[in-house]
Amino acid sequence: MRITTTTATATALAAVMLAACGSDDGDGGDDSSSGTSSIVWDMWAGSEEDTAFLNDTLEIVRAENPDIDVQLQTAPWNDYFTKLTTNLSAGNVACVTSMNGQRLSSYAEAFMPLTPEDLETAGLSEDDFVDGALDIMTHDGQLYGLPFDVATMLVYYNKDMFADSGAPEPQIGWSFEDFESAAQSVSTDDHKGFGIGMAEFQWMSLPIAMSGKQPVDEEGNLALTDPDFVDAATWYAGLVTEQEVAAPPPSASETGWGETEYAAGNVAMAVDGTWNAVTYLNNDTGFAAGMTNLPAGDAGSTALVLGSGYGIAADCADKEAALQVLGSLLGKDAQDAMASSGRSYPARAESQPLYFESLDDAVRDEVQAAFEAAFADVEGQRSTDDWDQVNTAIQPQLVSVYTGQAGMGDMLEQVQQQFGN
Amino acid sequence: MPTPAMLTARPRRRRVSGLKKAETRQALGFISPALAGLALFTVIPVVVSIVMSLHNWPAFGERSFAGFDNYRNLFTQHPDFWPALRNSAVFTLLYVPINLVVALALALSLSPRIRGRGAFRVLFFIPVVTPIVANALVWKMLLQPQGLFNGVSVSLFDIQLPNFLAHPQWAMIMVVVMSVWQGMGYNMLIFSAALEQLPTSVVEAARIDGARGWRMIRSVVLPMLSPAIFFATVMTIITSLQVFAQPQLLTGGGPGNATMPLVQFIYNQGFKFQDLGLAASAAWVLFVLIIMVTAVQFKAQKRWVHYEH
Repeated sequence: MRITTTTATATALAAVMLAACGSDDGDGGDDSSSGTSSIVWDMWAGSEEDTAFLNDTLEIVRAENPDIDVQLQTAPWNDYFTKLTTNLSAGNVACVTSMNGQRLSSYAEAFMPLTPEDLETAGLSEDDFVDGALDIMTHDGQLYGLPFDVATMLVYYNKDMFADSGAPEPQIGWSFEDFESAAQSVSTDDHKGFGIGMAEFQWMSLPIAMSGKQPVDEEGNLALTDPDFVDAATWYAGLVTEQEVAAPPPSASETGWGETEYAAGNVAMAVDGTWNAVTYLNNDTGFAAGMTNLPAGDAGSTALVLGSGYGIAADCADKEAALQVLGSLLGKDAQDAMASSGRSYPARAESQPLYFESLDDAVRDEVQAAFEAAFADVEGQRSTDDWDQVNTAIQPQLVSVYTGQAGMGDMLEQVQQQFGN
Repeated sequence: MPTPAMLTARPRRRRVSGLKKAETRQALGFISPALAGLALFTVIPVVVSIVMSLHNWPAFGERSFAGFDNYRNLFTQHPDFWPALRNSAVFTLLYVPINLVVALALALSLSPRIRGRGAFRVLFFIPVVTPIVANALVWKMLLQPQGLFNGVSVSLFDIQLPNFLAHPQWAMIMVVVMSVWQGMGYNMLIFSAALEQLPTSVVEAARIDGARGWRMIRSVVLPMLSPAIFFATVMTIITSLQVFAQPQLLTGGGPGNATMPLVQFIYNQGFKFQDLGLAASAAWVLFVLIIMVTAVQFKAQKRWVHYEH
């Protein structure tokens, strides 16, 4: 009898362990026993402030949807897409999932295409968003989500360094000659004039602006070897290797090299997105930060509209509840909160002015002028299905290019061969 | 007429077999959680990974049977696979001997005559237990052009050091140096423990025969340490073929693919390029490589490992 009890206990224990291992976190969107819907909102967050802000947004969403149990789950930006990939392969994607516009092409099939009726269910309309913003979450002519912010790249500069060197500060509408002379005159023995970029648009924006060409052609084919783009990219690498106005990154793991150097007050200029404007204005290093649009090349000023949005997972069980959460996340209150906290430039047109109102009087007009100039002429970013992989392949090679061990043209040719067919 | 002993014998045998059965049931009960765990976390994933390696298996989307295409792709087409294999081999060839020599030297020098050797052991063991992310950050700060090494070199000797982590050869050397610093403490502890177990009779006999210094180490200590050295070698080679965190954090596998070992290649294919089939086939190549290297070591050990004292 005792033996049977022991065996039964052990078996029961094993069963409990197995059940525990196999239990689902309920990420999908199952109806819980109480009858209310449960929706998980997946978002990237790198710091405690990020998470605190998202929790505030979560409160807005919960207040607007008392019958839906909304849960927030976060991962740092660098891990977010790895985690998303893992969740996708496990069929465990959160109903409301955040997506970066540049990466949408790789993940489009994970999302449910949105129809005008869906927008209506969410209580939203296409007219709520600024012109071109819906392109951010559009792939192959199909809307896969709605944007929460719009962004483009800016040149940020250190006003103190420009004042020390006596060089004129970059002006809206400047040219590449102006950029070169600024970088040279502000470079000293102590610091370089420019922080060279390693990440996607942090490095690509200047070559795109200079050549007027995107590295993906209008048919959606990878065009890294377009002669104009190669020339411009070669010029960009020459900022390190020839003009020596920028220092090469110390390692391929320094994925945010130029921007980090700028934020640390080690270089006078860097290219980064509008999403970091407020971070730079309030930088911990304590320098006065300025910003302006990208310099104009021979083809005029070419800048891309970037941004991120929220989509509904393709296998979301409770689409209606997910759409309601989406509607609240992109509703006036949540977008106003995003704008007035200065965290990001909202995609909702009526919320945008609040972004500038949140800024300090001393910098407001300047930031607004830079944003208006930068967004004036933006075009949609084209990408291929494996755009994310292309960038992953380019990044470690950039170090070899910047240190002069490889040519920019050769490197682009090699990546084009690997991904171009 | 049966003796009392014979009478009692039969029922006893039956009792024994009954007990055996019960014990078997009991044992099964006890090992069932472990068996379930083994099946769930080892056997099933292993089988699934074989299946994956024979398929085009994107992280999400359509899967299709591919036969040995993934393996063919790895060996004949993929631009990063052979460099990754080469990098793993180079890392192992540099890391294992240096690690073993340094660990052995540390263990020998921390002899019982040294005062406070416990404290020294703890010191040398600290890098093993500190998080690798913190270690890599500190090494980055030392090695980058604006870092400590270059700063000291320029200010004292006016010599500009190379950009260690962005130079293809230097980057690999620095990954090895950091790994040795991080890993030597573990082998040192194994060797120290083995040194303390040396039979005093043998050591004393050798000493009476006049063995001293290097002669003592080469002819007496090392042969007697050989089981520990063998164990350390096998384990260190396995961990060095599996190296991932050091290059991932220190160099990002770069410049180019100069420091990307096989495991990082597998990680990139699986989680960055979302090709789980290719990643699984590369993982099997790594597995076969490790098994082969380990089998060769076990074969070779008969020549140099002495188990009897």
